[in-house]
Amino acid sequence: MNELAALSQRALRETIRTPEALFPALFIPLFFLVVNVGQAARIFPTDETPFLNGQSYAAFQLPSSLLLAASFGAAALYLVEEIEGGYFDKLRAAPISRMSLVLGRLYAEFVKSIVLTAFMVVVALPFGIHIESGFLGFLVLVVMISLWSAVFNGFIQLIALATRSAAATQSGSMVFFPLLFLTPNFVPRELLTRPMEIAATFNPVTYIMEAARTLILDGFDAASLAKGFVVIAASGALMLVLSLRMVNNYD
Amino acid sequence: MTTSAPSAIRAVGLKKTYTGRDGEVEAVRGVDLDVAQGEVFGFLGPNGAGKSTTVRMLTTLMTITSGTALVAGVDVAADPNEARRKIGVALQEAGLDPRQTGRELLTLQARLFGHKTKSAGARAAELLELVELTEAADRRVKGYSGGVKRRLDLASALVHQPEVLFLDEPTTGLDPASRLTVWEEVRRINGMGTTVFLTTQYLEEADQLCNRLAIIDHGGIIREGTPVALKAELRERTGMAAEPTLDDVFLDATGGTRVRSAGDVKEIQS
Repeated sequence: MNELAALSQRALRETIRTPEALFPALFIPLFFLVVNVGQAARIFPTDETPFLNGQSYAAFQLPSSLLLAASFGAAALYLVEEIEGGYFDKLRAAPISRMSLVLGRLYAEFVKSIVLTAFMVVVALPFGIHIESGFLGFLVLVVMISLWSAVFNGFIQLIALATRSAAATQSGSMVFFPLLFLTPNFVPRELLTRPMEIAATFNPVTYIMEAARTLILDGFDAASLAKGFVVIAASGALMLVLSLRMVNNYD
Repeated sequence: MTTSAPSAIRAVGLKKTYTGRDGEVEAVRGVDLDVAQGEVFGFLGPNGAGKSTTVRMLTTLMTITSGTALVAGVDVAADPNEARRKIGVALQEAGLDPRQTGRELLTLQARLFGHKTKSAGARAAELLELVELTEAADRRVKGYSGGVKRRLDLASALVHQPEVLFLDEPTTGLDPASRLTVWEEVRRINGMGTTVFLTTQYLEEADQLCNRLAIIDHGGIIREGTPVALKAELRERTGMAAEPTLDDVFLDATGGTRVRSAGDVKEIQS
């Protein structure tokens, strides 16, 4: 645990020392929130749209923006930099568990996402959004999105380990972006066209988005939350197994 | 230094095979090594000869295709973490984190080798003083010169007082003054009883520092012995009039020749 704490603290220091890396994670999701709400809010007026539960369309859109922000991690690119500079070998030559090599930076992503998610929700509150599930729901929302951030960035980190190239990592991460959009991000799943509904149903991100949306619009829904957390746990387990295998066989 | 002391490094039939674009590549083809405790052992060879691959296998950074390697009595393939506790590694690039300060980097390294936060800080301060980096300790690494980075890298490899220190081309790219500083460090570290395994392309460096050396080419060891013995063997075999240098030994071993023209030395591979 000492080694994981040491590596996590280092990654956090790195995050604090590169505040410019936070800019896209904050600006782009807020930009999409404003643009999407601006374009579609009149189609979905609060009074005549049952799925909004009396809130503005911004409340419906907020989970998409939170998930987008959660996907803007820097862990993988820092890792590539470290591989290219030789420091990753220095860490590998230390008698530490390979798991801590994988988790050190992801812990920093988790903490960073807690701050970003909380900030975005607080910024959204004056625009007619409230968290129906209350303060506890707000905390669950922040933790859920931040856990997903760590898992998602873990998969990008996996690409970094496999390719050891910044360009390939950036390209590889694009593979994951469709997952954020093949979701019910504009309307609930049942209102999607049939092909999109099928795609969204098979997309694990859908269940995290729906769980987050439930917390904002409806309150606590155990089934929806369970699906969201199961998706995060299963994806996280897969990411860890693949990452460990990659680090153990890393030459 | 004699080889009758217990082995710090013993490798038998060490092989590394890659599958590249053009099929299978044998980077290291059955290397045998026996380095005694307390030695400074030089590992020389042309570019691509297999030096770094051998070091990476001995330091647990690369899987071994076949053969065995014991470092400080520990099988590096069977018990890599135990081996890592006994070895220090400074690789070709001074592998440092540019966003941390020198002090933070050494403190982290100490924590990774089991120190608690407080004792890690104390160990970092001790090492900074040892390599005379106390003044630069709280500046970020990215602002350090090549020589300072190399000294910090050396310090980070010593954080746990390793029994065996691997230095992969520690002076490549350094100016002459920094190179001399690193040499002094290596002598001092060895003076404290640490075995040093050093790869280098600078034959003068090997001559200055190493008790014994091996020359590797095309993945296999082609010469091994003390610098004095290797030079004597060459002189006796070729009947050279002048005392051969380690350069002559190296060129003879790797099949190179050299011609002198207008005062410049030009190496030509045969």
